[in-house]
Amino acid sequence: MPNNKFSYPVYDLRKVTGPHQLQNFWRMITGWHWHYVGATFFAALGALARTGMNLFLAYFIDEILIKKQFGEKLLLAILAYLGIIILQASSSFMSGKLSAQTAEGSTRRMRDYLFNHIQRLSYAYHSESKTGDLLERATSDVDTLRRFFADQAIGIGRIVLIFIINFLAIYNMNARLAWISIIILPVILAVSIFFFRSISKAYSAYQEQEAVLTTNLQENLSGVRVVKAFARQDYEINKFDDNNLEKLKRGRKLNIMHSFFWPTSDLICGAQMLASGFLAATMVMDGLLTLGQFVAFLGLLTWLIWPIRNLGRLIVDTSRATVSFKRITDIIKEDEEDLVSTELPACIQLRGDISFDHVSFEYEKGHPVLNDVSFECKAGQVIALLGSTGSGKTSLVNLLPRFYDVSSGQILLDGHDLRKYSRDCLRSQIGIIEQEPFLFSCSIRDNITYGVHREVTQAEIEMAAAEAAIDDVIKSFSKGYDTFVGERGVTLSGGQKQRVAIARTLLINPRVLILDDSTSSVDMETEAQIRAALENLMQERTTFIIAHRIQSIMSADLILVFDKGQIVQSGTHDNLLKETGIYREIYDIQTRIDSAVQEEINSVSNL
Amino acid sequence: MSQTYDEEELSDNVSNTKAVFSRLYGVLKPHWKTMLAAMVSIALVAITDSFYTLIQRTIIDEAILGNNRAILSQMYIYYGIIIIAQAIFVFGFVYLVGLQGERIRYDLRKMMFYHLQKLSLSYYSKTPLGWIMSRVTSDSEKMGDLLTWGIIDVTSAAMNIITAAIFMLLIEWRLALIVIASLPIMLYIAIKFRKRIYHHYRLSRKANSLMTANMNENITGVRIVKALRREEKNLDNFKVLSTNMFKSSYRAAYLSALFMPTIQTISAFTLGFVLWSGGNMVNTSFISIGSLQAFISFIMMILWPIQDIARVYAEMQNALASSERIFSLLDTQPAISDREATISIDSMRGEVVFNHVSFHYEDDDAQVIKDLSFKIPQGQNIALVGSTGGGKTTIVNLLCRFYEPTSGEILIGGINYLDYRLEDIQSRIGVVLQTPHLFSGTVMENIRYGKLEATDEQVQEAAKLAGAHEFIMSFQKGYNQNVGEGGNLLSVGQKQLISIARALLADPDIFIMDEATSSVDTLTEALIQKGMHRLMTGRTSFIIAHRLSTIKGADQIFVIDDGRITEAGNHDALMKLKGHYYRLYTQQFRHDLESEMDPFASLELNKADGAA
Repeated sequence: MPNNKFSYPVYDLRKVTGPHQLQNFWRMITGWHWHYVGATFFAALGALARTGMNLFLAYFIDEILIKKQFGEKLLLAILAYLGIIILQASSSFMSGKLSAQTAEGSTRRMRDYLFNHIQRLSYAYHSESKTGDLLERATSDVDTLRRFFADQAIGIGRIVLIFIINFLAIYNMNARLAWISIIILPVILAVSIFFFRSISKAYSAYQEQEAVLTTNLQENLSGVRVVKAFARQDYEINKFDDNNLEKLKRGRKLNIMHSFFWPTSDLICGAQMLASGFLAATMVMDGLLTLGQFVAFLGLLTWLIWPIRNLGRLIVDTSRATVSFKRITDIIKEDEEDLVSTELPACIQLRGDISFDHVSFEYEKGHPVLNDVSFECKAGQVIALLGSTGSGKTSLVNLLPRFYDVSSGQILLDGHDLRKYSRDCLRSQIGIIEQEPFLFSCSIRDNITYGVHREVTQAEIEMAAAEAAIDDVIKSFSKGYDTFVGERGVTLSGGQKQRVAIARTLLINPRVLILDDSTSSVDMETEAQIRAALENLMQERTTFIIAHRIQSIMSADLILVFDKGQIVQSGTHDNLLKETGIYREIYDIQTRIDSAVQEEINSVSNL
Repeated sequence: MSQTYDEEELSDNVSNTKAVFSRLYGVLKPHWKTMLAAMVSIALVAITDSFYTLIQRTIIDEAILGNNRAILSQMYIYYGIIIIAQAIFVFGFVYLVGLQGERIRYDLRKMMFYHLQKLSLSYYSKTPLGWIMSRVTSDSEKMGDLLTWGIIDVTSAAMNIITAAIFMLLIEWRLALIVIASLPIMLYIAIKFRKRIYHHYRLSRKANSLMTANMNENITGVRIVKALRREEKNLDNFKVLSTNMFKSSYRAAYLSALFMPTIQTISAFTLGFVLWSGGNMVNTSFISIGSLQAFISFIMMILWPIQDIARVYAEMQNALASSERIFSLLDTQPAISDREATISIDSMRGEVVFNHVSFHYEDDDAQVIKDLSFKIPQGQNIALVGSTGGGKTTIVNLLCRFYEPTSGEILIGGINYLDYRLEDIQSRIGVVLQTPHLFSGTVMENIRYGKLEATDEQVQEAAKLAGAHEFIMSFQKGYNQNVGEGGNLLSVGQKQLISIARALLADPDIFIMDEATSSVDTLTEALIQKGMHRLMTGRTSFIIAHRLSTIKGADQIFVIDDGRITEAGNHDALMKLKGHYYRLYTQQFRHDLESEMDPFASLELNKADGAA
């Protein structure tokens, strides 16, 4: 970020995963500790000023009004009063501002950290976790923390401070009055904690029904053709009505809880106000309190009792923040992939000689997906991998960019053990083209230059796109290369997405290429285009093809046939044809297909 | 990115505020009694608040200063009564407003849902699903809030201010005027503040949804991110979004922190002025100490109503915009509806004739179907083939009367189908879609969708005919198995079999099917073919066909290209033409053989069976 005003203190958030929860919370706001201390200080100052306002009222009545002081003394008193109010107002502003800085700043740092941390977690971690769950933790759980720092933590502190200060002020007037005035406190605190606990249950029941209703609506809207085809509008309406009514019912239940809590707590607090007020008034008549003290007392009492109602809510919310914090630290505890460590002097350009030396690999102990795989290839050769799903082809190519490391044996790249290279170095020189590549929601241009770590001119982009046989398609969109992927009306087919990825890989110009070759879902013309594009790409690069059909691999330098994690056959097309085995079976089938097609055609023509 | 689309839609432009208000009144009208009761309750709460202040005054002036214990007791009894009365009123308004809010939101959702069922397919194809969803879910919430808490908060605030003003005027009108004069200034500033806060709040919501979308994409595409080493660049991009979020969110928090202190400071000057004049009045015995204390209470009390009014006012514009969108949805007329005079029939058997039918969409002049004519005798099976976008689906949509021809006519049983009732046509035509749509619920419920009054036995009978019975029985709960949201707990093949059973149960006169392109295992495929065959026998059927066996078995094949029939006839005749059909067929034939004979494919199949 060039704009320094919005940068934030650097802190390694891995340190927030310690054993002490409170310490972790404190560490999370490292860099804003003084802000937070300040926020607490101003909250205290504000509470003091508020108490001061009430005490001032006592002075004003007793010393000015009753003693009938005119002019200067009255004016001075009023100015002092204004001073206290302004002090109170600015303290409350400062406290709010400082806690907002802490809360917004630290959660922003947390969001950035989580974003970066998640994208750097290992391949294995991502295979096992759900996108929705990770997202939920990185967004709404972080937001729960934001609210904790902005409202709850300061809020609880403020209420407790106000309570203590006001209690002391009353105690100072009359100890007996002070004790009597807080009789009701445990009751109101218990009632409010109980209420906010149970309301959060009723509220989640309400939200669950809302989710049901939303699903109902969504299914109805997306299935509108089925609804219309069976003319089931009335049925759908009844179903929606039932769910809608259930939501109304749950909403009513929630509403009844609210309508009982507020007046009940009003009554409890009101009773305390009444009893204390009456007692204080008689004390004035008995000469134990002054009139000014009485008026001040009424003000102090209000601030002693009513905030306690909210304390229940804050306490319940705090427990939610603890849960969220744990969900976040669960992610933070996971180790990031090491992208840079290397035992080689520098990341030099690869040639692409690769050898697998008794390589085994397992995701779980005792379940090898690759078993004792050995083969060798020279730079620029084409290696085809053939085999059923789960036979180990994909696991093998995942080892090359070090998405995973071998469990035993070793892979040599240009004579060095693969694990000596940094992941960064490998990935910068290995290109991957998936069956149906994921495109990002940015312009097609940005998708083509995605991962090309240098400035690229429009001419270069178009050249690559033309080589990948996608230039025409892109130019046929009204916004051309600026077309947003996923924009309404613009949908790229699987084959088109693959060609975008090919164009991108051409620009990256990697030394080693991994290709998932599937052209099953495209028509013949497109297939020819893709094949031509791929041939452009494969030139002078060591290429691994995950093959699904035999045509694409006949010219490969080395064909590896996999079964259950092992190489069962290897060699060139010509060699393999001479052996009996799966490969020849596949080839025979291919020839049989050709003759079968001819037969089918003839069967009609000969009629 | 659908979220961004939605956020952009949430603009505050209300084209006709007056019209929206009068319709809001219409929504409120059925609940006017509840609403009135709630308003009376909240008004009473506000008024009793002021009485409390008056009681305080009497306690100070008459009981304490006058040293009269009888009055003191009496006042505290009044006080007790007020507390109890207020608790009752509070109960009343919280209950009534909450109830009212739930009811209004319920009504709104219901109205919109009813209306949505009436709208034609053309509406759904041009309106994004997310847009409609937001109307029913979030806009109904906003409008509900405006019509309940919005009104209540303003009533309460107004009553608070009015009663306080009246009491102040009664106590000492000169001091009261000072306070009243300060009100508009505070209100003006409060509204300005609230609008800014709300503005930044909404910006932060928008920034938040962008940020979430970005993060979502980065997690979904994490493999590519890693392979292409985009971590740093992506973090930089994300930081821009999180900074925007931070800026607006902090701005809103900052303004909120500044808001009340500012109002308070302004009121402090009013208070100082009152104390100065009042103090001098006390000294000259113009005003009592209790009265002055009452004034101080009133000034403090007025701050809250001001902030409430400002809040409602600031958010009102947005709620009105929500309401207008809801009304616009309710005002949309269905593009297709029954003609005035309709013929009622209980059978759609008979010849199907397309007579020079052309069709184009409302918002696009390009003809999708061009002068199409054909005649199909009762009971024939027609296969529609041709490239995507050629018009096959449109022909089927026209036949179901999801759309109507823009020129020409479609006759069923010799009568223009516009003369029939929509419901009659659609309930007599059975449709099986390419991606079968199931609803959350059990298998039984999903099949019964075809005929609601069917018995369990009839449902099972249909499932047996469709070849679905066996796999259904293999479920732990059999027919009571839950299919998951949109049927996602079932495989594509299973969903298709269930949708065939559903269509069989409905026993339609005309059957339409869009064959799936995605491959299912051979066994399921065979079952599907059998089920389809059952559906086709004795019924006029239109199949958008991808399977060669379906195509070959059809009585007639229509090759559809660019909105026209380019080739028509049976398989042998079309093959001899050596044209478009010939090419399509041989390509597909080769492809089928390849996937069928691939030894790896069979290996995979065995594995899948083993896993299941």
